[in-house]
Amino acid sequence: MTTQAVRPGSTATAPDEAEVRAALDASWGRPVGLLGWISTVDHKDVARRYLVTAFVFFILGGLDAALMRIQLARPENRFLTPDQYNQLFTVHGTTMMFLFAVPVMTAMGLYFVPLMIGARNVSFPRLNNYGYWVYLIGGVLLYVSLFVNSAPDTGWFSYVPLAGPGYTPGKRADIYAQTVTFTEISALITAVEIIVTVFKHRAPGMTLNRIPLFVWAMLVTSFMILFAMPWVATASLFLAADRLIATHFFNPAEGGDPMLWQHLFWFFGHPEVYIIFIPALGMISSILATFTRREVFGYPVMVLSLVATGFLGFGLWVHHMFATGIPQLGQSYFTAASAMIAIPSGVQIFCWIATLWVGRPRWTVPMLYATAFVVLFLIGGLSGVMVASVPFDLQVHDTYFVVAHLHYVLLGGAVFPLFGAFYYWFPKITGRMLDERLGRWQFGLFFAGVNLTFFPMHYLGLHGMPRRVYTYLLESGWGDLNLLATAGAVTIAASVLLFILNVVRALRAGPLAGNDPWGGETLEWLAESPPRPYNFAFQPVVQGRAALWSRTPDAPVVVGLRTDMREVLVTTVMDAAPDNRHRHPDPDRMPFVAALATGVLFISLVFTPWGLPVGALLLAVPMILWGWPNEEDNEKQRRQERETVT
Amino acid sequence: MSGIQPSLQRSTIDVAGLPTTVFGPRDIMWWGTLGFLVIEGTTLFICVAAYFFLWRNEATWPPEHTLRPSLFWPTVHVLFLAASNLLARQLSKAAHALDEHRTRRWLLVLAAVAAVSLALRWQDFLALNARWDTNAYGSIVWLTVGLHATLIAAELGELCLMYALLASERREERHLADASDVAFYWYGLTLFWVPLYVMIYLGPRLLR
Repeated sequence: MTTQAVRPGSTATAPDEAEVRAALDASWGRPVGLLGWISTVDHKDVARRYLVTAFVFFILGGLDAALMRIQLARPENRFLTPDQYNQLFTVHGTTMMFLFAVPVMTAMGLYFVPLMIGARNVSFPRLNNYGYWVYLIGGVLLYVSLFVNSAPDTGWFSYVPLAGPGYTPGKRADIYAQTVTFTEISALITAVEIIVTVFKHRAPGMTLNRIPLFVWAMLVTSFMILFAMPWVATASLFLAADRLIATHFFNPAEGGDPMLWQHLFWFFGHPEVYIIFIPALGMISSILATFTRREVFGYPVMVLSLVATGFLGFGLWVHHMFATGIPQLGQSYFTAASAMIAIPSGVQIFCWIATLWVGRPRWTVPMLYATAFVVLFLIGGLSGVMVASVPFDLQVHDTYFVVAHLHYVLLGGAVFPLFGAFYYWFPKITGRMLDERLGRWQFGLFFAGVNLTFFPMHYLGLHGMPRRVYTYLLESGWGDLNLLATAGAVTIAASVLLFILNVVRALRAGPLAGNDPWGGETLEWLAESPPRPYNFAFQPVVQGRAALWSRTPDAPVVVGLRTDMREVLVTTVMDAAPDNRHRHPDPDRMPFVAALATGVLFISLVFTPWGLPVGALLLAVPMILWGWPNEEDNEKQRRQERETVT
Repeated sequence: MSGIQPSLQRSTIDVAGLPTTVFGPRDIMWWGTLGFLVIEGTTLFICVAAYFFLWRNEATWPPEHTLRPSLFWPTVHVLFLAASNLLARQLSKAAHALDEHRTRRWLLVLAAVAAVSLALRWQDFLALNARWDTNAYGSIVWLTVGLHATLIAAELGELCLMYALLASERREERHLADASDVAFYWYGLTLFWVPLYVMIYLGPRLLR
């Protein structure tokens, strides 16, 4: 048993910290220049890029929405053409779901999971970098298509037969299919990264029942991604094949079935909601624990609720298809299953209330967002219970009631916790504090804006206003509430501008944060702000569930990893006992080149099936170079650099 | 610990004595391989789900005017793939024994197996007796066989790369663990094909 090789010295001599840091700075540093920038393997670099890119897509998706709100502000408006409107609502939905919500949540995981578990990096850092570039290419493809007036126009769920070759000639639906493929590859990579990192790189002592709740949330999310994303990736492959090489998956004339698309899409689409929502639950737990100075009440129940939500999330997909003529037994089952998901969600809300009850809340901006989440998610949850009922759903299907419901769930359930998490973790990422006063204003505007925009939509839906229609008649009487919703959208825009202002001000001259400005319980607050490329000079040893609060002054640290090259500790899955040392990859530009080749492969598939063999051959070259060890060259180069300096 | 001298009194856990070459679930590459097997297995499972979903729409299977798939070459191929796991097992054993020479030899053998498998895969396509654009039945069976073929092609590339690496001066002991993960991947790849073979080639005979 290899763990016998570990020597737990009680107060043995440890290497000098400054000396270790200097050595690690040299071996874990990133090469300078543009080539160094694209070849990074630091999980924080990659996660920061994901965060910034996802935020840019949030702004772009928000602008799409703003244009739609201007169009709908008054009846019979001619601001947008029907075709432009179709493109905008499709690109808005596709952006927010595929390019913003999932990547931003997994990016928070990529940044903080390794820090929270006391690891130096993710398991497969080059693959991580590849995933980011693939995601970026997918997003750019979608927006380039919008700017050349060729964006997808069949909705974010791109139903066939509308999206099939018969009703959508041209390349619009192909661009949708390939955008989806890019983002799914990226999400699947991130999921594997997070799962293996949590399983194999936890600091010694972090047994399964000491894993922070945010890390549990990311682990459950990653498993959901692993089993959900292939469904939409395969569906989009079928769609692309139907359009490109005349297969008949969705063509009823040749034995195909449009319902196949709906099942494949929603078997991914419903878990997708939880893939966005579960990380947010983890964020709420982190924020509440820190600002009440209490461990979250009912840890085992919280973990079981997260896992239960993950399982139940796969049993609800048909409730998106009640209007398609589902057998009655199916309707009853999916109604019951939809209502059942309220149980683990409710359990978590009660645990948070108990945490607030026994703690001493500090009402900082992250706490305001966490509290608002409970209120908004409750509203979205209640309208969710309403649409889970088949007769009600049939009445409001494809109306603004559903638009109101899904935005309360997604904004309330995910974007509010996300903003809270930004305020909470911004000091760790940048080393500087955001302004509290500006933050409170931003919160107030955002809360008011979201409610002004989406609450009236419940009424509009109940009064029959359909979704995805570019205008409405004056006689419908929907004008006033639509104007109110547009005013709400302006308020949201003002809030987001204030957030950007706050971030820019903080980056320029915000107060320095120090390692632990909030007095947090988890290990990320032990690292510097921003953390070094190797996160911790000495990996910590975890002594309790609240890793920092239970840490004694003489807490042991890990020594014995090599410092002259990148080496990481691998621990056992259950007990996080030290097990082996792993040679960690150096920066490598091949993941970037491979992502470009992947881009050529999938984008050329929009136009010709020959893209597959040509793209695959192109991809093979960087993949081979990627697999070829480069550490020796790098070590030689570093040795030469050191000799030059001395 | 290359150059760093102890100088501070501090409570420590010294991991310098831990191994750097480990196999199976102790190795992070094994977990990465498992992750990708799960993704690929899920994708192939979706093809199975789609196959049965489309089958419900037809009175006969394959649909009228479509020939049933032929059995001879696909049966030879599936038996060949199942038997190849014995060779993959030898590769894994050689890697575990840290025997570079034998590991290289079995890598080469398995690469040859993958190449033969790709040639037999061509026969699998011909044996379908339907084109991808004949009808939805043709589409789903072509795509399923094609998806699995891309996995074999990628694996052939990986086997060649691994052989070249272990034959080069860059080889290190830890690369033997990677070679053993290649064998692990091969088990998954070949085992996926058995139920797919049953569904695609025997299914139309069993489902009528």
